[in-house]
Amino acid sequence: MEKHLKRSDRAKTFVLPNKCFEKHVACAWRRGNSFTVYPRSQTVSKNQGNISDNKILKVRQEILLFIPILRKLINDSNGVFLSLQKVAENTNSDNQVEFWKLSRQYRSIVRSIIENLQEAAEEESDALAKNSLNSYATIFYSIECIWHLCEILFIKNIPGDVVLPFLLEWVCCHFPSHDQTAAQLLEARERGSEDHPEYWDTVVSLIIQGRIDDARDLLRLHSASESAEFKLVANSLRTMPVYNIYGGISSGEFTIVWKHWQAECRAILNSQSLSSLPYLQLIMRLLIGDYTAFESICSKYPSWFYLLGGYVLFTRPWARRRELADAAAACAGLGAAHAHSHLNTVIRALLEGDLHQMIYEIQQMSDNGWFATHLTDMLYHCGKLQVLDEHQTDMTKRLRDSLVLEYGSLVMEHGALWCTGLSYLAACPPEGPRRAELLLERLPLDSEEKAMRIIAEAKKYDLLGVVQTVCACMSARGRGAGRVGAALAWAGRARGAGLCAGAAHAALRGYCAGAPLPAADMLLSAGSTLLMDDTLLLLGKYSDFHRLYNNKEFKKAAKLLISLITSKIAPEYFWETLLLDTLPLLEAEEPVFSSTETYEILLCLELRTKLLTGEKADLLRLACVRNLARTVLLDGVEE
Amino acid sequence: MAQDGNIKVTFVSQKIKKIRWIPEDYAEAQCFFTGSWDDEVNNIKVWVLDYINDNEVKYPKYVSNFVVEGNVTEIQFTGKNVIAVSTSDGKVRLLQISEYERKTPLKEVFIWNNLHKIAGRACPCTSLATMEGDIATVGEDGNVNILNSRRGDITRTITDADSCSLHSVCFIKHNEVITGNLRGHMKIWDLRSSDNKPTHSFLFGGDQLAATCIINHPTQPYYILAGSESGEIAMWDLRVNTFPSTLKAHPSGVTEMKFHPENPNKLLTSSLSGELWEWNMEAVMKNTKTTENWIALQDKNTTQTNTLLESFKPLNSFDCNKGNILVAGENEAIHFIKNFKY
Repeated sequence: MEKHLKRSDRAKTFVLPNKCFEKHVACAWRRGNSFTVYPRSQTVSKNQGNISDNKILKVRQEILLFIPILRKLINDSNGVFLSLQKVAENTNSDNQVEFWKLSRQYRSIVRSIIENLQEAAEEESDALAKNSLNSYATIFYSIECIWHLCEILFIKNIPGDVVLPFLLEWVCCHFPSHDQTAAQLLEARERGSEDHPEYWDTVVSLIIQGRIDDARDLLRLHSASESAEFKLVANSLRTMPVYNIYGGISSGEFTIVWKHWQAECRAILNSQSLSSLPYLQLIMRLLIGDYTAFESICSKYPSWFYLLGGYVLFTRPWARRRELADAAAACAGLGAAHAHSHLNTVIRALLEGDLHQMIYEIQQMSDNGWFATHLTDMLYHCGKLQVLDEHQTDMTKRLRDSLVLEYGSLVMEHGALWCTGLSYLAACPPEGPRRAELLLERLPLDSEEKAMRIIAEAKKYDLLGVVQTVCACMSARGRGAGRVGAALAWAGRARGAGLCAGAAHAALRGYCAGAPLPAADMLLSAGSTLLMDDTLLLLGKYSDFHRLYNNKEFKKAAKLLISLITSKIAPEYFWETLLLDTLPLLEAEEPVFSSTETYEILLCLELRTKLLTGEKADLLRLACVRNLARTVLLDGVEE
Repeated sequence: MAQDGNIKVTFVSQKIKKIRWIPEDYAEAQCFFTGSWDDEVNNIKVWVLDYINDNEVKYPKYVSNFVVEGNVTEIQFTGKNVIAVSTSDGKVRLLQISEYERKTPLKEVFIWNNLHKIAGRACPCTSLATMEGDIATVGEDGNVNILNSRRGDITRTITDADSCSLHSVCFIKHNEVITGNLRGHMKIWDLRSSDNKPTHSFLFGGDQLAATCIINHPTQPYYILAGSESGEIAMWDLRVNTFPSTLKAHPSGVTEMKFHPENPNKLLTSSLSGELWEWNMEAVMKNTKTTENWIALQDKNTTQTNTLLESFKPLNSFDCNKGNILVAGENEAIHFIKNFKY
């Protein structure tokens, strides 16, 4: 029951316009995520009065990714995705570095999409469209931010696992504060900069961003920078130890140095020498990692992400990737702002290393699953993803596959992007190719060019069923349009005997009914294709017979015709034509049929009395007899 | 991927079927046409290379747009500023671009409606070729039409030139065209003779695969090259009636072939498997003796080939202008290759 409730919670309700269906509605699925709703009544109603009110509604999911700007994202990221699959295939090389490079490529794609969206928003005059462009840009902002953090925590190869410098970089990059003020002040280099209303906020911001040197520079611009108090603080900042994995000291040693330095800072603070200067006091409190100090400045920032880097810097600068959860919890506890936002949940999950939760959260973003799919795929290939279900079985591959399949099917819905979608489906065997097969068969074949493209792609992924279907479809279409040549050519491609037979029968029947023999050019050059089916072979050879006859090579033509008669591959309806074709040759000036061949004709004639009757049969008998009279004595001589 | 500094990629959100430089008289071309296919709305666009956001490098910027129904299947120049465009709804258009102001919309000079049809219904015009104001078009109906671009009329129609669909066409001389069909059956037509029979015909190979493109050598027009659906390239010498020398070149269909306009020894080919190759044909072309010299084409290693671009998706079209090459394809991107040594 509870499960049921949860389900209905997630369902969305859409109200169809105009209340067009009061009752009796049915719906039918179309290709992809669209369906049609139509009125249907179980009872046959006698009065057809209100039928004009009924409408057929086509309902489809609106896909954000298909707007032109985001189509670039689809295509661009598809290239990276395919490179990633390729890298993942060979297991021996230094994949981690390659993965990191590809991850950066993904990020740069997202970055350029954000720029594109912003440019478009600037040029857009319609307020509503502008608004939605801006909101798309916001979505991709958070995507980039999350991806970057993910890259630091899971993809990048960090020596010694000391994450701090990268964490600070992440904060500077995505949550800059007072950047411009700092740049202005440092540029102007005027003493007495403290007159600037944001002077102290800027100094504090620089410190919590880990930009200690800039902060010292800025302090030097204070008019009282020569005073003992300022020198004290500046000196503390200068002597702050920085951990470096290649610095030649062990982390234990560093911890001692660090603790010693913080003890000194604490001593300065306790000595009350700074009591008259609250800002300097604040700085010192930050340096010793005083939680209340962070609390006091927290309200100046829109969210706790701004403080994360600084908090780690002054509490646990040697923190490893796995140890960030505590810092995150502490920072998140600083202030209520942003505490319940989506980004907050995702980043908390990331810092806690709960990728499953993170993926669940990013699936809720309205980017049609682009982000969840690509990031999950990346993490899966990096080997960093492990998802267990309640029975402790490994669901990682299933999770990744289901996301990639879903995204692939979604992209394939677009008429022009089927090829891109296909490459995603093909990346998750065995289910992907099977899905691809179903979707490919349903693509509209508006030209031969398209058919050939679909065949080429299907062959690439070994979907031979699709090749067959498409060829059969084109062949049937050719036959329907009365183009026997095209029908046969496509049937030949499909290697389908049935199709060949169908097309050949159509051609032969047409010929019997008086139409000219079609597709001579094709039949005479078809080669081994003819062997696929008896009727086709007959058609081909019969065509050849016509050619020989027209070229006045009667002997050869006669030989061929006899072989067609004796091989008995002709369908019933064609016997009459075949037998009557012997007539002119029997009556030729020079005898072309030998007596044995004439007997064969007579035999056929007698065996199939039903097919050739009356005057025609008599005429043929007469011709045979006359030919026999001419040839019966010649036979021995010729051989 | 061979992505170095000389290749700039621009994503354009449409699959480009054909891409063509608009040549300038004494300078490198700066503008080009693209024609899209397989989308809800297809169009011919004019682009100009321009500096975007004060960058050091030039990127394509779109300046005008001409919407067509159906897919664009071929774009060829008939004059300096006039192109012939064929579409999959059986139409051929002559479009003119202003010589001085490229931004002004394209002007439709002529349109031939329903040029290709099966049983009265329009069918795709698959390709066209131009020579000195004449246009030869072929379609899925198996007909060949010769159009006059000055008068805008149809000079000649060869009905039922082929019982299959035709997929490629090329002028050999002003009165001779060669066509290739779905099965790789090549036919040469003399436009002066009035009967609808080819003067020559031969097969691409035994595999019954479509001939996707045909070109002739710019200075020795009796050499005909054709590319097939399976990636083979064949070469005929029309002076001697010999079997073609074929070469399994690309892993998948050849989409376009071109000799570099400034250097007839340089052949470029693009393919469905996503490669753009340059071929050094000097050794092949120098040898004026017949038959034996084609051995050079049999082996990819002896003719020097070089990969200029590799993509995961099919490359549909390219065009060269001096050292600049434009490539476009199914990945909805225009690749601009600079400093190509020809």
